[in-house]
Amino acid sequence: MNLNSHNSMGGAGTGEDTLRLIAGLPAPEGLEERVHTTLRTAPRQGRVLAWPFALRADAAWVRATAAAAIVMIVAGGGWGVYSYIQPLQAIKAPAVPARVGSAGEFSGAGAKRSPQTLQPPVVSAPQKPAESHPAHKKTHKKAAPQAAQNRMAAPASK
Amino acid sequence: MSASQAICAGWMDFEDTAAADAFRLEAEEAALAGLVDQYAGALYRVAFSVLRNPADAEDAVQEAFLRVLRHRDQLIEVRDHRVWLIRIVWNIVLDRKRRAKTRPETDDVAELARVLPSTGLSAEQMASAAQHHAQVLACVEQLPAKEREVLVLSAFDELSSVEIASVLGITESSVRSRLFRARNLMAGMLNHARSKARDLEPSGRSAETAAAAEGERR
Repeated sequence: MNLNSHNSMGGAGTGEDTLRLIAGLPAPEGLEERVHTTLRTAPRQGRVLAWPFALRADAAWVRATAAAAIVMIVAGGGWGVYSYIQPLQAIKAPAVPARVGSAGEFSGAGAKRSPQTLQPPVVSAPQKPAESHPAHKKTHKKAAPQAAQNRMAAPASK
Repeated sequence: MSASQAICAGWMDFEDTAAADAFRLEAEEAALAGLVDQYAGALYRVAFSVLRNPADAEDAVQEAFLRVLRHRDQLIEVRDHRVWLIRIVWNIVLDRKRRAKTRPETDDVAELARVLPSTGLSAEQMASAAQHHAQVLACVEQLPAKEREVLVLSAFDELSSVEIASVLGITESSVRSRLFRARNLMAGMLNHARSKARDLEPSGRSAETAAAAEGERR
């Protein structure tokens, strides 16, 4: 069913008359000829492999042989690379201590920090004034009990 | 049959295969040539209604047939060649239009309005018709893409709503609803444009009369 037969607005108010005029414009002369020429000169369908003859299902063995050859080449190449790389992996690198600490910062690689200590300043002892009196006092105080003891012992000896 | 005989038989089959392929190729090319003769004009009109440029439209038609040439082995599977071809050219022209979006369309509209057939009209009527066409085309450009596509395709008498739905890849009810919306929008926009033109009547009339006088002088 054509939509134009159901056009309630008649196309006059909606501008469809203009669109119909455009749709009815004739094609330029010689268009078909030009298209034919383009098609004749265009390259045919591209093929990945340009076989010298068409391969049908009857020639499946050719395809199978070709596929097997491709698989062999790929597998052989892969094995060659694998066998070349294996000896290189055998060489082990020297063990290196972990360089990154748990918090993400660089570690000291186990080294202990021994800060360089400075020699403490040598302080000369201050010159003390004469200390005879306290010393004497102390000696007196210490001597007093001895004297008392002596005194107490004396009567016993007497 | 021994294995060697089987292999030789396989090789001998190639000649028959090549002949069959050549025959099939010829048949496909003949079918393609028939499609060109039958539908090139329709495809051109579809392309022109979107691109509004004769050279671009012809390029689009050629590209469409080149695509068909590349996939000519699928021709047997296609039920409706006309709709299939229109769909191909439609996708091509939409793609081209999207790519050439930077170009101002006002020039195209004015050029097309001048080209549209207006035989049997006086110079004043021709100027008025050209102005109307330009106004309509400007309004069509302002429509949303979905509504515009349906409206443009509905202008082709030979396309039914089912075929339009097939070209656009939507359902028939969607085509009808979009067309309804498009017509309403167009009516609103054209009324607005006419009332605006009426407000600017004096200056517009002077331009119109000048154009008419110019046409008569020619």
